[in-house]
Amino acid sequence: MSQKITLNVPLNRVEGDLEVRAEVEDGVVTNAWCSGTMYRGIENALIGRGALDGLVITPRICGICSTGHLIAAARALEMIAQVEPPPDALRARNVALMVEHVQSDVRQSFLTFSADFAVPAYRNRPMFEEAVRRYEPFKGDTAIEVIRETKHLIEIIAILGGQWPHSSFVVPGGIVSIPTVADLLQCQLLLRQFRHWYERRVLGCAIERWLDVRNAGELDAWLEEREAHYTSDLGFFIRFAQAIGLDKVGRGHGAFLSYGSFDLPAETRAGAPTAGARLIPAGFARGLQVHAFDQSKVAEHVAHSWYVDYDGGRHPFDGETQPWGPGVPQQKYSWGKAPRYDGLAAETGPLAEMIIAGNPLYIGLISRGGPSAFVRQLARLTRPCTLIPAMETWLGEASKGGKYYASPGEIIDGEGFGLMEVTRGALGHWVRVQDGTIRHYQIITPTAWNASPRDRNGVRGPMEEALVGACISDVSNPVELGHIVRSFDPCLVCTVHTVRRGQTLGNVAVGAP
Amino acid sequence: MRRIICIGNRYAAQDAAGPAVYDHLRRLQLPAGLELIDGGLAGLDLLRYLEDAELVVFVDSVSGFGAPNTVLILAEEEVAVLASSRYDHSAGLAYLLRILPEVCEGVLPQVRLIGIEGDPDQAAIGEAATLALKIAGGSGYANRPSEAVRPVAAD
Repeated sequence: MSQKITLNVPLNRVEGDLEVRAEVEDGVVTNAWCSGTMYRGIENALIGRGALDGLVITPRICGICSTGHLIAAARALEMIAQVEPPPDALRARNVALMVEHVQSDVRQSFLTFSADFAVPAYRNRPMFEEAVRRYEPFKGDTAIEVIRETKHLIEIIAILGGQWPHSSFVVPGGIVSIPTVADLLQCQLLLRQFRHWYERRVLGCAIERWLDVRNAGELDAWLEEREAHYTSDLGFFIRFAQAIGLDKVGRGHGAFLSYGSFDLPAETRAGAPTAGARLIPAGFARGLQVHAFDQSKVAEHVAHSWYVDYDGGRHPFDGETQPWGPGVPQQKYSWGKAPRYDGLAAETGPLAEMIIAGNPLYIGLISRGGPSAFVRQLARLTRPCTLIPAMETWLGEASKGGKYYASPGEIIDGEGFGLMEVTRGALGHWVRVQDGTIRHYQIITPTAWNASPRDRNGVRGPMEEALVGACISDVSNPVELGHIVRSFDPCLVCTVHTVRRGQTLGNVAVGAP
Repeated sequence: MRRIICIGNRYAAQDAAGPAVYDHLRRLQLPAGLELIDGGLAGLDLLRYLEDAELVVFVDSVSGFGAPNTVLILAEEEVAVLASSRYDHSAGLAYLLRILPEVCEGVLPQVRLIGIEGDPDQAAIGEAATLALKIAGGSGYANRPSEAVRPVAAD
């Protein structure tokens, strides 16, 4: 006789405002629900404020991606003002944004994702002791090194942005903090030191060698090529993740979205200088079939979200955020809306960027085994390899006394959007300004895509879909589900850091659905 | 160097006490050698501000320590034990203080937290600001154990 139970997955250990519920039958997940449990109201708070206020308020949405929100807000206003920042301003913005990516990728990989390798559920695994030595919280060799090394990276934003935290150096038309030659040299030194550590500790090889790994077979060969590869943290991740089967779980819908990111300066060695070109391309992929991105195909559904209902999905320029609790019993279950592209649920993040950019390794891995928690996390862990060389190029190209600002004039009327890739994937700001005042503001974050609830058609969000089919070995400790969810690096909110007495580590409730 | 670091989110009422104290203090003439920092949401990224300081006084919202408007002094170790064992997007001051001895590249600073309960009134903000200045100025508060200095019953 089959047994059907519901697990409330203890994801307040991941993000305090994300809850995941899974229905498990005979040890296999048959259904799942991701629920955002807190209403933020940032979009509504912006209405009626000055046109530039989004530059100050939206970076407070996230303590990790504040530079991303700052640049997205500025890009939306630049579209209204029809102003393009000078090349050196683009270089400085790109480098600062990449710092956020690199720091978060490394911290998430080794302080959050790999910490799950050192839990008692794996104590009988041959690699368990090594996992504990590397990743045990507050003690693991790698965990300690990651904090020591990544803390210096943020100094680059402080130098380019004039201050940290709360750098507000990005404005419509460019940046307001002009780096000196000494500033740029200091940034290059900090980046060089980080590259050396990342290559030695994380990769076990030069970035250029890793970028030569171009398919699944070459990945296997790379692992065995040198002891430094095998024993590096990347090598250990590959071995451990495959040993526990992360390459076979977390498939999802197999649809991927990237808005594209890092506007290319007019003349740069980092990429082809075509108008509007970006280092990371925009696109939408079903499987491995990549299509051109069209922002008019973005829409948000609220059928299963705690907002006043409307038919179908709405483009962000037509969207609204009207909190509304009741609805049909059991139907609404999240404060997150359900973004869809051309009516389809799509995941976003480093793996989507790799697929849409045509990265041969990730195309090969998807071709061999399909999307999985392993491939998704591998893409994040190695994304710095595609970013650091461009950062070095742009810091070298930025010129002494260069032009960093072009006046946008007064921003009175119009509508614009700022779309880009931030650390966790596609971020969009859509703003309408009238008489110098914000009349409409809609934001879709990467986790809104990934942790989306069901849409009008009842289609599960990407993370929900990725959980279905996962086998649970111990329902009292469903570590498998934690791996899958963390492979998306969800971030529902990280803006309230109150010190709490009696904060629990979460629990698992097993009972009737 | 001594520092007062006010942390929190001025756009979330339950976490806005730190920024409110920052706004209060920035209008004052601070003594030489004392630096005031708007720590915002930075969490672990505030580590660099601890590595070259002899004393750091954090000011932050707290929850579960007393009635609304209560202002408390907490020692570093009292906060560090509250840290989740995992780094995540909620990792704030407790995580920072828990990991500090393992990763600090300079001399470990003395750390105190002035905690403020609830959505405090201006009197509590002023009291917390005054207390921060006293501790950062070395008035002796720094060596006292956890203590509520302004318990005010909720309305």
